[in-house]
Order: sequence, then C-alpha cells, then structure tokens
Amino acid sequence: MGRAREALCDPIFKNNPIAVGVLGICSALAVTTKLETTVTMCLAVLFVITFSNLSVSLIRNHIPSSIRMIVQMTIIASLVILVDQFLKAYAYEISKQLSVFVGLIITNCIIMGRAEAFAMKNGVALSVLDGIGNAIGYSLVLLAVGIVRELFGSGRLLGYELLPLTTNGGWYPANGLLLLSPSAFFLIGLFIWALRTWKPEQVERDH
Amino acid sequence: MPEETIAKTISVAAGVCVVCSIFVSTAAVCLKPIQATNKTLDMRKNILIAAGIISEGQKANVDELFKRVNAEVIDLATGEPVEGLRPEDFDPRKAARDPKQSIAIPPDEDLAGIKRRSKYRIVYFIKDGERIKRVILPVYGKGLWSTMYGLVALGADMDTIESFGFYEHGETPGLGGEVDNPRWKAQWVGKKAFDKNWKPKIRVIKGTVVSDSPDAAYEVDGLSGATLTARGVMNLVQFWLGDEGYGPFLARLRAGADHG
Amino acid sequence: MRPLRYLLDRVGPHFEKGGRLEKLYPVYEVIDTFFYTPGDVTPDPCHVRDAIDFKRMMSAVLVALVPCVVMAMYNTGLQANTAMVSMGIAEVPGWRGAVLGWTGVGYDPGSVLADLIHGALYFIPIYVVCMVVGILWEMLFASVRGHTINEGFFVTGLLFPLTLPATIPLWQVAVGISFGVVLGKEVFGGTGRNFLNPALTARAFLFFAYPAQISGNAVWTAVDGFSGATPLGAVATGGMKAVTGQLSWFEAFLGTMQGSMGETSALACLLGAVMLLVFGVASWRIMVSMVLGALALAGLLYGLGSLTNPMFEMPPHWHLVLGGFAFGLVFMATDPVTAAMTDLGQWIYGLLIGMIVILVRVVNPAFPEGTMLAILFGNTFAPLIDYYVVAANIRRRALRHA
Repeated sequence: MGRAREALCDPIFKNNPIAVGVLGICSALAVTTKLETTVTMCLAVLFVITFSNLSVSLIRNHIPSSIRMIVQMTIIASLVILVDQFLKAYAYEISKQLSVFVGLIITNCIIMGRAEAFAMKNGVALSVLDGIGNAIGYSLVLLAVGIVRELFGSGRLLGYELLPLTTNGGWYPANGLLLLSPSAFFLIGLFIWALRTWKPEQVERDH
Repeated sequence: MPEETIAKTISVAAGVCVVCSIFVSTAAVCLKPIQATNKTLDMRKNILIAAGIISEGQKANVDELFKRVNAEVIDLATGEPVEGLRPEDFDPRKAARDPKQSIAIPPDEDLAGIKRRSKYRIVYFIKDGERIKRVILPVYGKGLWSTMYGLVALGADMDTIESFGFYEHGETPGLGGEVDNPRWKAQWVGKKAFDKNWKPKIRVIKGTVVSDSPDAAYEVDGLSGATLTARGVMNLVQFWLGDEGYGPFLARLRAGADHG
Repeated sequence: MRPLRYLLDRVGPHFEKGGRLEKLYPVYEVIDTFFYTPGDVTPDPCHVRDAIDFKRMMSAVLVALVPCVVMAMYNTGLQANTAMVSMGIAEVPGWRGAVLGWTGVGYDPGSVLADLIHGALYFIPIYVVCMVVGILWEMLFASVRGHTINEGFFVTGLLFPLTLPATIPLWQVAVGISFGVVLGKEVFGGTGRNFLNPALTARAFLFFAYPAQISGNAVWTAVDGFSGATPLGAVATGGMKAVTGQLSWFEAFLGTMQGSMGETSALACLLGAVMLLVFGVASWRIMVSMVLGALALAGLLYGLGSLTNPMFEMPPHWHLVLGGFAFGLVFMATDPVTAAMTDLGQWIYGLLIGMIVILVRVVNPAFPEGTMLAILFGNTFAPLIDYYVVAANIRRRALRHA
C-alpha cells in the first residue's frame, strides 16, 4: 500500500511537477486567465495523463526501446485528439477559448515525462495512480493561478462578478497585468517560493 | 527489455498505429455532425444577439428562433442577391482567400487592413411581413494585434445602428479587449452611421462624446488606453459601410424602401 | 553632531547581539552608518580602503537627482497652473487647495514659487508613500534574513516617484513599490543580487497592471478633466507637426512639457549626469553608447521614412529630449547593479538599450514610449553580455599563450 500512496500523493506537494520539476509551464501561462478554462484544461490533462500512463504501462514490455519515444508520443497524441474532438462536440464555447492549447497538451512535458520515467518501469495500477497524482499536482498549481488571475484580473470567479469593476461602475480597478501571460510566471514563482519555504529540502543545491 | 528485432519493432509500431488510428477516426467520424452543428449554432446565436432577439448569455432554442432570420448571399459590387448560391453553401472566409472569388482592395481604400475581400458576402435580415426591420452585416478588420470579426445591425432606415459587437478577436485583455465590454457596445446603439449623402460618418473619437455637440449622433467614446484598437474598429466599420463594402447593397435597400 | 553620536553610542548595545532589541539591529545600523562612517576595520593585515563605499555612492546618486526633483515639482506645478488658466479654473479643490490658499502663493503659472509649491503638493505625497511602504518591506526582509538594511532603497525610493505621472493614485504607488522591492529585488537576495532595476520593475508593474492611470491622455497634468497627450503620444498619432506647433526643441530640452514627473527635463538629467560622472559613480561608456545607439537607429528610420507611421518623421535629436530617454539614460541604465560590468560589455549594453528604445517608440504601434521596456530588456541581457565578453577574453588570452 505504501508504494501506491507514494505514487498518488508524492506528486502533489513533495514532487509537484510544476513546482519542483518546473514542467508544463506553457499551458499554465496560456489557459489560466479564467477559472473555467483552467478547470477544463486540468480535466483534459487528468484524462490524457491517466490513460497515457495506463496504455504505456500495459504494453511496456513489448515496446522496443529504439522506438519507445515515438510510441509514447503516438499514444499521447491520439488521446489529445480524442479530448479535442470531444470538447469541440460537447463544450464548444470552452474549446473555442482554449483554441490551440488543447492540442498543445501533446507537448506538455509532464505527460511524456511520466510515461517515460514511470509508466515504462511500473505496473498498470501504480502507473494509473501516478498519472492521477501528477494531474492533481498540476491542477493544484493551475487552479491557484487561475483563481488569482480571474479574481484579481477581472473581478470574477467562474464568470460570477465578485469584485465589481470600476469600468462597470464598481469599486475594484482590474489588474490588467494578471490578464497577460507573464503574470502566471510571477504567480508560479510565488507558489514555488511558498512551497520551498515550507519544504526547504526542495531547494536545489548550488552548482 | 524485449529482444529487439526489426520484425518486432515494425509490428509493434504498426500495432500501435492501427489501434490509435481506430480510436481517433471513430471519434472524429462520430462527433463530426455534433461539431458542425455547434459551429453553426454559435454563429446563429451571435446573429440572434445582433438581431436583438436574444440577449447575451441567454439560453434559448436558437434553431427555432433563427427561422425568423433570413439570410442571403449578395454581390458586393452591385448589391444584388446572387442567384443560385445558398448561404449554407457559401463560406465567406474561404472565399476571401480564394483568388477566384475575391478581389484585391486598393491600398488607399483598404481602411480595414484586410488586403482582399470576397466578391460575395452573406447578409441577414429580420423582416416584419415584407418590410425589413433590421439588416445584419458581418464585418471584420485589423485591430491592434488581430483580425476582429463582428456584426453590425442597422435599423429599417438603413442608418441607425441597432447593435454592434465582435464575436471573435485577439486584442489585449483589459485594453483593446474592452471592445467586448457591454457598456461600450451599448454606446453604439442608436447612433447614426451615415451623413446626408449616405457616406459613412460614424466615428470613434478620443475621450468622451460631448452630448450637445452637433456630431454627437455620429460619435462613440474612445477606449482609454486602446486608441489603436478603437481606431481599427472605426476604420473597419467605415470600410464595410462604404462603397467598397455594403454601400451598394444598402443603397439598393434604401431605394426599395422609398418605392415600397 | 556630537549629541547624535552620543545618543547612538548609548542605545547601541541594546541592538547588538543579545540585546533587548536585537531584531531591530538593521534599523539602528542604517541610521548609524548613514550619518557616520562605520568604525569597523579589516582585521587582516592587507586591505585596500576607498573613501567611496556603497553608502557614499548612493548618496552621490541622491545628490545628482536633486535637479530632477526640483524640475519635477516645478514642471508639475507649471503644467497644472497653465492648464487651470486655459480651462478657467480659479483654484484647486481638496486639501491641496487649502494648503495653497494658506501659503497665499496663488496659481500664476508665471510664478516659479507658485509652480514649485503646487507641484510639491503632488510629488511629496507620492514620495512619502513610496518611502514608507518600501522601507517597511526592507525592514521586514532585513529582520527575517538577519542582514542590514541597504541604502539602495533610498535611491529606488526617489527614482520610482520621478517616473510616475503626478495624478497616480497613492495606493498604486504603494502596490507598485511593493512589487518592485519584493519581486524585483528581495526574491533574488536583496540589493546587489537583483538583475532588474527595482524602480523600473515597479513602474513596469503599474504600467501593465493599471495602464489607465499611467498612460493615455488624461493622466499627465494634475487638473481634473484636462486631457492632453505627451509629445511622444502626440507624434504617434498626429505626426511631428503636432508637437513642433506648440513646443520648440529647446523647451523640450528644458522640460516644460507633459510627462512623468521627473523625466521631462533633459537639462536636469544632464546636470545629474555631470555630477554622477564627476563622482565616478556612473559609467560614461553606457551613457555614450546608449546615445549613439539611439541616434544611429533613429537616424536610419528617419532617413527611411514611412507613409503610414508618423513616428518615422521624428528627427533623431528630438528623441533625446522627449519621453524618459534622458532620465533612463542617466539614472536607470547606469545602475551599477543591473548594468553590464565589463568595459566592452557596457558598450554593447548601452547600444542595445539605445536601439531598443527607438525600436519600441517608432515601430511598435502599442507603446509610444520605450525607455522603460528597453532598459529592463537590457538588464536581462547584461549578465549574458558580460559572460560572453569574459569568455571571449579568456579564449583570446588562451590562444595568445598557447
């Protein structure tokens, strides 16, 4: 049971893919202006990473090592296309807002990284747990960033106005920086700062 | 690690490809009709909003309501409807890129910054019996960073703007992106688009409109911090309402209205 | 001065290790060493001592900034008073009106004293807010990290208000300087380890977060309802004739035009530059190369011309006196912490900034002014430039002795 719990829980704080691995930053910048798109992105990544870990782990003993990367890539790409098609069919508005970023899940290093580093060496059950754990770790950071950006950038959460904006006659002047991608860098940086203050063992040694 | 032989490598690769392609193509084929419906539904919703039939964010039976909207493909040069071309079969964006179906716009008249325009465009009407109550014109043009796509709705006099808004753009959120702000869009409502010679006169000015100025009916407040996006909006509206755009078409409707 | 020294020596032990107020040692230290040269000496036999240490260097910059501060207050008042005359407003509402009424200097734009006081009523609140908030952060970090407070902040705290328009809301000053100090400096380990200029980081934050209060037409003159573009903004929309009609090059050089408070006067910046060079604090290489870079690219673009972009019409010598170019050149680009260190590196760094300023101003449609962005850009590249200059040097010497 110990290994299972490790596979599921470690990626949340101890080995968070964004905060410790600094992976998957691209999508974290692009989709977090609104919480709604953030949540969709998190679910999409959860689906892709879980099933890619599952499939890669299933056939791990049959993948020749010379083509293992390309096999992982093919599996991941197919899963991403599935998600993309599905969103276009059943969540058209959101898929329009996410535009290319669903497709770009393919290039999310977390997914490929977990397939290569974990699913290739571990059993199916563990790999699935690892996938879910990493997706949760990723989502945690993304949701935090998304909440801050939507709340302070446009005064809303999930589209509901919480801080009435001055441009609409309210009192809250929207922080425009938070609507621009670089702000996610600052927020992720602050998140990493907080996490490393809490867990000093994550601080890298000087080279 | 499995033994690596060429045969094994190829068979694994082929196997993965087959399985993946089955999944992907099944999904693509099964979901295609729903996706296509979504796309038209989205466009129709925007048109209904421009028509004033539904308001933004309102849940409604779009297909049912859209029956009240008539669509027509027109030839921009003459303003006459194009016989035998159904709006469903015509894709204006594709046509604008196709050298056969589009013409180059002379640079000094290309206010909207779009370089080429298709010969035909789709327009939408809301009719009250035979009388046209509203005409909805799809417009587009360059903002600061992106091409902005929007809909202008004119009233029965072909002069008063009944609604205006963009449904697709990539301007800076909070600055140029304020073209989406309902308060700004509301400013356009009730403004007059043309002067007495039927030349486009509507302008986006810098700062706020002085309400007792003689031109107040033709002016819309600027967007603070987004002068260039606002100028892009003004230019594209002037372009599409002018002679290179829907000018001839609107002239024909006006003539028709006078006689009828 | 005696009683001060006596007082400091008497309370000193309370702040030393083991004293009751040990946590507040940084506060004691900063006051002590601000007034007196520290008494500590190097215990090892061999050391070099220079009269100009870090604190004196910062004081030199503060002295060099005095002309800019005076011009900032004078011009802010002048612009406000002139606008009031043209709009027919007799007096200002609120507490500023009360203070001005009490002093009795009036609102005559021709009176230097009236302009100075009116301007000071805008500058001083911004400065005070900036210093109070900034020092609170400095003290917090100094206490937590157990190091002494750096005088670097006195410079940042004066530079930042000078880069702001007079009408900036005070809460934004507080938010901006917090961002500048914490994310521009302290996260990297404090003064000396920051790679971005904290004052410019603070300004960039406000510029992108609250663009309505730091750009556009309504913010530059401190009179409600007055709207007017900065000269650069006017050229971007109306061409050179929009500016030359109202402003001569010499007036622009003096700085009696709209803009951020401290940046309008190239003359004041020039005086500051002379002082910095005499004191040996700033690098002349950066100043010269930045001017050259700007002149070269501005000259090229001016020569090329453009039918659609009015910014191309601006002659190179105008670029030097408009916007924040002079201020950035003298006080921001030369910041020894964030600039390139090597001689050759400084030439490259200056040229790069000078050219980017012009590139942003002329070619980018979104921003009429590019000095802040160019210097921040230069800051990010400075370590890389130095790295390659040093690496090239090592390679050359290795080859020579091979």
